[in-house]
Amino acid sequence: MPAEEGKILAVSSVSKRFGGLLALDSVSFEVQRGEIFSVIGPNGAGKTTLFSCLVGTYPPTAGSVRFRGEELKGLRNDQVVARGLVRTHQIVKPFRDMTVSDNVRVGVLYGRLRLRGAKARERVDEVLSRTQLGHRAQAKAGILSIGELKRLEIARALATGPEVLCLDEVMGGLNPAEIQQAMALVRALRDSGLTILMIEHHVHAVAGLSDRLVVLNFGKKIAEGRPAEALRDPAVVAAYLGDETKEARA
Amino acid sequence: MTGLLRRHPALLPGVLFAAFLLLAPLFAQRGMLNDLWNMAFFVVLATAWNLLGGFAGQVSLGYSAFVGIGAYTTVLLANAGWSPWLTLPIGAALAAAFSVVVGLPTFRLRGPYFTIATIGVGEAVRVIASGLEFTGGSSGLRMPAGTFDFNANYYAMVVLALLTLALVAWLQRHAFGLGLDAIRQDIDAAEALGVPSTRAKLQAHAISSALVAIAGGLFAVNFQFISPGSVFDFRLSLTIVLMPIVGGMGTMTGPVVGALLFSYLQIKLLASPVLRDSYLFIYGGLLIVVMLFEPKGIVGLWERLIALRPRRQAPPPVGEVRRAS
Repeated sequence: MPAEEGKILAVSSVSKRFGGLLALDSVSFEVQRGEIFSVIGPNGAGKTTLFSCLVGTYPPTAGSVRFRGEELKGLRNDQVVARGLVRTHQIVKPFRDMTVSDNVRVGVLYGRLRLRGAKARERVDEVLSRTQLGHRAQAKAGILSIGELKRLEIARALATGPEVLCLDEVMGGLNPAEIQQAMALVRALRDSGLTILMIEHHVHAVAGLSDRLVVLNFGKKIAEGRPAEALRDPAVVAAYLGDETKEARA
Repeated sequence: MTGLLRRHPALLPGVLFAAFLLLAPLFAQRGMLNDLWNMAFFVVLATAWNLLGGFAGQVSLGYSAFVGIGAYTTVLLANAGWSPWLTLPIGAALAAAFSVVVGLPTFRLRGPYFTIATIGVGEAVRVIASGLEFTGGSSGLRMPAGTFDFNANYYAMVVLALLTLALVAWLQRHAFGLGLDAIRQDIDAAEALGVPSTRAKLQAHAISSALVAIAGGLFAVNFQFISPGSVFDFRLSLTIVLMPIVGGMGTMTGPVVGALLFSYLQIKLLASPVLRDSYLFIYGGLLIVVMLFEPKGIVGLWERLIALRPRRQAPPPVGEVRRAS
């Protein structure tokens, strides 16, 4: 655990309404500095919507998001990034016509650090090597494999110089070896001082990595706590497996 | 200069052409200089438009508004006793201010919706200029006598074209250009990495509209007469978009190639009584061919031809650095 303790992100009573659909219903939780904090839940539970509300992709309908004591609600996405809170996308969004290196450079030039010249080049190289994309630096992003694209999502977000990194299903679609690799990367990022907030479906990864987690279902928080306890909570089991039916595990 | 050329040998034809344009008045006939002026004019329009349309991917069909604002500012102020040269920065500033006023609402729209909105803006400005008393209505305005100096105007347009190319190339190579490229490829991803997309689009719009307005001011001086039908014409807006598309959007050479081709076609066709009104028709045909076979325009076709040619030497190393930050 890093030396500096204390809450870095406080989400209180955040709701998001899309027309008649209440995608998030008064969700609250706090993330401590240096934690790996997971957000889990069945498909459509509102996890990605939550991330979008945190970083300002769109504003929450109600509630507040405080990052290092500062209210984020009302800030645009780029303003939130400049303060040190950044997210990746579950459906990867590479700049396909750009090289991998230029993809990362966007984050370096525009994020919180806004480096220029030699310092920017160093940062790009450092991020590429940390995410094991160095050998692909000059390849066009459009030709990367899904595993590499997921790492590129992390690399670009990391390049912005965040304090809190929100990872949206960076292990989806990866093979077991790549998942091991990704878990090691997430751990290394936390050990370097970052706070990680992650959405993940892969139960092994969630249980193995998370310090704490919240469980969402139909936009509501149904459980919170350490993975061992929260994953055994009857409400969570019911949400994933169904109340009475014995459908196959997801 | 020589160092720059050694690092970027592709600049050599450009430097030679620039030298030719600057030295042409020493040996060329007036008719040829007129054609070269026309080429430089279209190079400015196409290259400036490409900053927003090609690099940032925001296709505006309303750029005649900026040509017109520049032209009308020059004529109105010149008739009030100003030197035409001093009117150029005023026209540029007015066009940039107007581009922000237009951009704030329209940049909320994406893709074709933005393009359609800009058609409306361009047409609205034309209708307003045709209806107002002080702009001379639909009959237009004349420059005061004694404001025409062909050589000065020729040099001014050539220098403006070279400065426009240098400025856009410089912007493209720095953080601003990378941000525009990110916006074009995926605006949500760009914002998620901290690119302030609306501000970047407004800046690109303002810079390109200011350059276009200066060209419009020089247009007014060169022809000594303007009307809504000449500078606010929708066909002019269309021409400004067609040149970079046919040449190759989002590249430095594409808009130049498109502008040279377009001005050449226009000059040849205008000289022929049968074909004089058909240049847009022919250009439309070219556009269809380009869209069907190579969306990256003539520059894209050229690059494909180069790639087909059997290689005599090893390909450049993979680690070649394309863009300095």
